[in-house]
Amino acid sequence: MSNFYNMPKLPTENSPKVEIFVDDKAVMVPGDTNLLEALKAVGIETPHVCYHPYLPVSGNCRQCLVEQEGPRGRMLVIACYTPVAPGMKIYTPASSARVKNARKATQEFMLVNHPLDCPICDKAGECTLQENYMEAGQNEGRMRPEYGKNYHGNPAHQFIDSKGQVRGGKHVDIGPRILLDEERCVQCDRCVRFMRTIAKDEQLQLAGRADHTYISTFPGEKLDHEYDLCVTDVCPTGAMTAKYFRFQKRVWLLSHTPTISMDDSLGANIWLDHADGRIYRMMPRCNPEVNRSWISNTTRLAFQTFGENRLPAMGLKVIKEAMGEGKVAIVAGGASTIEDLAAIKLLKETLGDKAEIFGGTFKKVGSPDGIAMSGDPMANRAGFKLMGIADDNLADLVKRASEFNVLLTVNADLFGEDAAAAKGLEKIATRIALSAFDDETAKKSTLAFGIKHWSEVQGTMVNCNNLLQKLNAAPTCPDAELRPAYEVISELAGKPFTSAFEAFKKAGEYASVLAGLAYDSIKSTGKLLEGGNA
Amino acid sequence: MDIIESKSWVEWLITIAKFAFCFVPVLYILLLIPMERRGAGFMQDRQGPNRSYIKIPYFGKIRLFGYVQNMCDGAKLFFKEMFAPKGANKILYYAAPAIPFAIVFLSPCVIPWFGPMVFDWAGEVVRIPGSIVDSDVGVLLLFGLSSLSAYGAVLAGWASKSKYSYLGSLRTTAMTVSYEVCLGLSLMGVLLLAGSFNLTDIVSWQEHHVWGIVAQPIAFICFLIASIAETGRAPFDVAEGEPELVAGYHTEYGAMHFGLFYMGEYSHICINSFLIATLFLGGYSIPFVTTETIQAHMGGSLAILCWVLAFLALAFLHMVHRYSKKLAATKQTHRFEVLREYRLYNIVGWLAVIVLIAAGACSWMFFTPEVAHTAAGVNTLGTALGTAAIHLLVLVVKSIMFCWVWIWVRWTLPRFRYDHVMNLGWKVILNIALVNLVVTAIAAKLLGGN
Amino acid sequence: MARVIKQKPMNWVERLYVYECLRGLFTTLKHAARGFFRYEQLPTISYPEGQPDIPSNYRAKHRLMLRADGTPRCVACGMCAAACPAHCIFIEATKSDDPRIEKRVMRFDIDHLVCVFCGLCVEACPVDALRMDTKQIVFEHRTREEFVAHLEDLTNWDPKDYPEDAQSQMAPGGTKNAEARKVWGMEVK
Repeated sequence: MSNFYNMPKLPTENSPKVEIFVDDKAVMVPGDTNLLEALKAVGIETPHVCYHPYLPVSGNCRQCLVEQEGPRGRMLVIACYTPVAPGMKIYTPASSARVKNARKATQEFMLVNHPLDCPICDKAGECTLQENYMEAGQNEGRMRPEYGKNYHGNPAHQFIDSKGQVRGGKHVDIGPRILLDEERCVQCDRCVRFMRTIAKDEQLQLAGRADHTYISTFPGEKLDHEYDLCVTDVCPTGAMTAKYFRFQKRVWLLSHTPTISMDDSLGANIWLDHADGRIYRMMPRCNPEVNRSWISNTTRLAFQTFGENRLPAMGLKVIKEAMGEGKVAIVAGGASTIEDLAAIKLLKETLGDKAEIFGGTFKKVGSPDGIAMSGDPMANRAGFKLMGIADDNLADLVKRASEFNVLLTVNADLFGEDAAAAKGLEKIATRIALSAFDDETAKKSTLAFGIKHWSEVQGTMVNCNNLLQKLNAAPTCPDAELRPAYEVISELAGKPFTSAFEAFKKAGEYASVLAGLAYDSIKSTGKLLEGGNA
Repeated sequence: MDIIESKSWVEWLITIAKFAFCFVPVLYILLLIPMERRGAGFMQDRQGPNRSYIKIPYFGKIRLFGYVQNMCDGAKLFFKEMFAPKGANKILYYAAPAIPFAIVFLSPCVIPWFGPMVFDWAGEVVRIPGSIVDSDVGVLLLFGLSSLSAYGAVLAGWASKSKYSYLGSLRTTAMTVSYEVCLGLSLMGVLLLAGSFNLTDIVSWQEHHVWGIVAQPIAFICFLIASIAETGRAPFDVAEGEPELVAGYHTEYGAMHFGLFYMGEYSHICINSFLIATLFLGGYSIPFVTTETIQAHMGGSLAILCWVLAFLALAFLHMVHRYSKKLAATKQTHRFEVLREYRLYNIVGWLAVIVLIAAGACSWMFFTPEVAHTAAGVNTLGTALGTAAIHLLVLVVKSIMFCWVWIWVRWTLPRFRYDHVMNLGWKVILNIALVNLVVTAIAAKLLGGN
Repeated sequence: MARVIKQKPMNWVERLYVYECLRGLFTTLKHAARGFFRYEQLPTISYPEGQPDIPSNYRAKHRLMLRADGTPRCVACGMCAAACPAHCIFIEATKSDDPRIEKRVMRFDIDHLVCVFCGLCVEACPVDALRMDTKQIVFEHRTREEFVAHLEDLTNWDPKDYPEDAQSQMAPGGTKNAEARKVWGMEVK
């Protein structure tokens, strides 16, 4: 059982360097962390199952064994719970047969009762056990077929399978979004620790003792939490599987696009896992400064509607003609990237006094939950401020609706967010919607034009911590005709951007912090903007 | 009138009827094409073309052992559109294929198809030669005619306005000229022995002495090689060598134009086979049996002939039976169809056996030597016709044997390179033939021939 | 790197060519005589009507093995698709209705126009569901779409065609089906 106060100390750029001896060779490692992270920092991977950098150390899997020279000779210690000390002598499998054998034995022991489910397991391909087996295991099977595997787990879930063998609980419905496979579970208790320490809602527990241990909820309770799908991420095996992704795609067939979720102003870093031109799942992308390894269910499951209900692409002639008449109110939605905002500013410059830019959302702004949500639905609010665009003056727009002849909404589903509040906008005669989806605003508008969704565009956003983050385009756009918002808007302005970077350079003219930046200079974990407006 | 009255009507009838032999080479095409196609197949362990059929009631699809395929191909060639390439000399282009084909009808004139018929008609002794034209320069005439076929190739190659055709025709010319020399020289030994250019004389010399192949084995081999080369067949078909020249002089020809070249080539083989059979294999003569013996025992000869044919028919029936048995045991989906077709062959075969045995028996009974042969050595008309029939059959069998040699050689030996062909012609065969001629002449003088 | 192959020099008999010619002629004559007199012994098969005898380990059209209850054994793991060098296998999985079986195949398409018949898919299959022993080597269809074998097509085979194979006999209609159903705990038909 783990303690929730012993979170691993992770090395940072400012960690003091100490000298330790790995395999009798002196190396400089970060001094304020555990041995596993220190070895990783110098390029030595240690197989581990229960250890997770953002969960308290439990040390129950014994897979990360290394040898340490101590007062009583060389002893096997677990790398994840051994703090680095200057001058310590460490032996890895590269030099120590004992470590190698110990890891191999641990691995074999862990797999003794693990079912041969890899063909039907959704985790196969990204499974820690598989990786460890290839690295540290490679055992000959010593299980005699006549003995079979001896699955324990919850006795209530046992059944006789098609070959007449007793099996543990398969696909136990542990919650509305998660299925538990008790056979595959190796009792690393990562999920328990996650729910306890990160979700702060201890819904999972280990029940039973010894090899009868199994994961369970409290009687009558279900695993149901805003972050419960993170349990499937931390699970090193296929024990916890997400229902939405169950049997959808083998993971090795998925391509991964690193991008930023534009659902929330924290800008959670995500992987878009896609194949055959559609997104299959959204996974957290580790960013220690933003969302660590977590994303909320809302963010994670949002992808399911990305490909549906899309607006088709159209020619811009009509929209240009419509904008010619009278005053134009341009409303930028929170999902607009810096590039889109640059294009909007360009359009405003072209139109001159005839146009006015509004920004904001009718959605309620919540409070940060401390994990991976800031609660602000306007993702790029800091970007708005940076670009000098009002980020909360929709009420003003509604009040002055009669002044305008044309309403141009970009990525802003005003009517969908709050139909009552947006009712006043119907006074504006020509309502043009530039939107990815055929949403309420598009339905209410007189002209609706399809653009690319944020998951399909390249761009940048600034999150609530003033971190400039980079979005990448996943090749999942359902219609090849669709174009990003900045291209469409800049074409309306008469100076079309041909690439996202061109728009970004334009944004540098409006916001000095962005000037001179290249996309390559923004790391995958973002770039902290100093001296921004936010 | 005098000319007409100088001969009796029977004499006239037979003389005119002999012109039918002009068509023998053309008929041989019908034989040679299936022989070549299926023979090639068998040599390569294939079956050869055997799929086309004629549907008749009761027996179903009749394929005649693949013979229908040749009819189909012929019909196709016949009905294809004929066209000339742009820039070709139209007149020569269209005329060229006719030359080798026309010669086909002229060449058989001098070949003795049977021994001279001598029979008694209305109290007079009638003598009719075995060839259409009983010329004293028969061999020379034949060579002259067969050399003319090179003109077809030359004109075709030139008129096609194609470099492949042109090169092909040049090669044909050179090769024909070269091998004509060898052909003529290698033959000289036989002529020397026979002492005549008349083919009938040559055959009768062989009949009374020894076959040319025994007397002149080296000449025979030289002549065979030279005549294969002269027909332009593999391994001497450099004129239409596909790797270099597409198809040689007939590259630009299609449809029945090509058909005429094709038929000309086969007819050429046929005539050359007849020539070899005549010059080296005793022509129409039967080994170890003189014409007089046959005439003396005409009934028996015909009977034996019929029974030999009956035996062949039985052998055919046996083969059909054996194959049917094997086929019936397989799982081939068309086996019943084939067996139904074979029923026809069985019926025809058995009919042939019965008819031939009966005919043999009749010959044996009725054609007695006493009736056939008079003391003066002059036959009755029946005996003369019977002898001619046997002679013709013997000649045909011999020539088919040589036709097979053509096909056999073609599908066995790889094509020579052009310079090798020339080397062989001028430096080897010509010299051998010359030496052979000299040796033969000396030997003939020393041994005291005529 | 040029490699020089030294050929055995011909002796004078071979150079003379006459003897070699005669040898060749003899060979072809042998074959021709066999074809003529022993036509039935020709190795050629009269193809569409007569079919070649195909050994059971010949890599022919695929089939999917069946469980005793007639469902395909395939668990849609995608190993065959991963192993396929031609990328001609398309699999979609779904949840099984049988509580004892987790995953079942919903779509299993093999595009035989793309397939190279290498047999790697059969090697890759962890549950011995995919085999290539149908001896069906001819694919003739009117449209391209018909060359794609679907699940129904791949599972449509008769245990009687595989009398030697015990695994095939466990499928419905096979001799060992009753036995296999008993092991499964199903009622025996």
